[in-house]
Amino acid sequence: MYTSLAFYLHLAVSVLIYWLIPWQTWRTAFLSLSSLVFLLRADANSFYLVLILTAVTWFFGYQIGQSVIKKTWHHIGVILLVLVLVIYKYLGWLDDILAPLLNLFSGFSGYHFDKLLIPLGLSYVTFKYISYLTDIYWGLIKHGRFIDFLCYGSLFTIYIAGPIERFERPQPQIDNKLVFESALLEAGFQRIVFGLFKKLVLADWLHYFISPIWQNLAENSFSMQVVGVLAFAFNIYFDFSGYSDIAIGSSRFFGLTIMENFDNPYFAVNISQFWRKWHISLSDWIRDYLFFPLSRMNEKMIWQLILVPLIAMGLCGLWHGASWSFVLWGLWHGAGLSLLQFWGRFKRRRKEIAHLSNQPWFNRFAAALTFSFVCIGWIWFIG
Amino acid sequence: MQEKLIAFIRDELISDPDVEITADTPLISSGLMDSFALVTLQAFIEKELGVKVPAPRITVDSFNTIARMISIIGLHR
Repeated sequence: MYTSLAFYLHLAVSVLIYWLIPWQTWRTAFLSLSSLVFLLRADANSFYLVLILTAVTWFFGYQIGQSVIKKTWHHIGVILLVLVLVIYKYLGWLDDILAPLLNLFSGFSGYHFDKLLIPLGLSYVTFKYISYLTDIYWGLIKHGRFIDFLCYGSLFTIYIAGPIERFERPQPQIDNKLVFESALLEAGFQRIVFGLFKKLVLADWLHYFISPIWQNLAENSFSMQVVGVLAFAFNIYFDFSGYSDIAIGSSRFFGLTIMENFDNPYFAVNISQFWRKWHISLSDWIRDYLFFPLSRMNEKMIWQLILVPLIAMGLCGLWHGASWSFVLWGLWHGAGLSLLQFWGRFKRRRKEIAHLSNQPWFNRFAAALTFSFVCIGWIWFIG
Repeated sequence: MQEKLIAFIRDELISDPDVEITADTPLISSGLMDSFALVTLQAFIEKELGVKVPAPRITVDSFNTIARMISIIGLHR
């Protein structure tokens, strides 16, 4: 989508009209309209869904901000958003499990759930809206103007592949009068070119040569399997970070600064650091809205050190797609995070180990180990 | 507050308890403390200092030093 000519034509026309408008509120309204037109042309389902979700979420946000029963409004709003995601993305996948149960309890036979066509960007927009409601509930942000919220939710440059921005970052930007500078175009252009190079040259080139290995990974020799997995590690990095670069660069054309989504993740020295560098907007979301609240529910060691990482990362895997492969990939990372916490506790008890782990050579070894761990996890992605 | 935080972090959270911690010692970026410890720290701040700091405000950057922690805690008092 972000590499198509239609996207760049839409972007060029929108940027031109956007900066010709002298009033910021009208610019924001135009950018929302432009984003909705883009979505309508790309996927009509997504267009209708984003309109409904935006109106409903904004209403719930208003109620959380004003009402004395904030908790009730927040919980209902979040449950509704999760339900939309589950119905579109997971019900069809869970048909084998849910349909027999439904038939058993209802007394009728023949119930089943079809796999629905998932509207574009659904996973991103529901996570953005859950963060919006929760941030109002926690008192971190104020309920926003509808036009600002619509622009935030539908912004076509980040709608389909993120980053999963929080409302508190773009809102003050679109609320203040932005001033046009040629440097914006220059910075945005450079970032887009960089992203296109990563996506079209590096990622697609790797995909072209390595995809025959991925298709029959188990049937190749061990060395070819290693090559295939390593190539996949770089393919997915260049592909996804390339998309993020394009999203960040094209948003810059409108004067908007979008959060970074990658920070040299393959140089991480442990799996926790990897998740602070890989798909940062998603890992921040998982940390803030799943990991922290879940951890606080119970102080038992087995819960905080083992179950919470597994649950949070299992759900993170499931967010990527309705498939057990993604769940296993998430659980693999959850297990890694859990092991890391035990390693931290072990280091506290053994001072000589703690001193050893501060050596430069140990960090290089840890980075290689982390990269290997991540690469093994990619096998489930390929599958 | 500073003494309470230093004592708790030194006794419970950092990987090398022999390291001297001051208000400006980088804790997470230096590898002394893992970001997982922030969950424990959030619970400690709520229980012992009576301040509820929401998760999105407890980041690696905002909680990297005791001085920054105190400033964030102050905002949520």
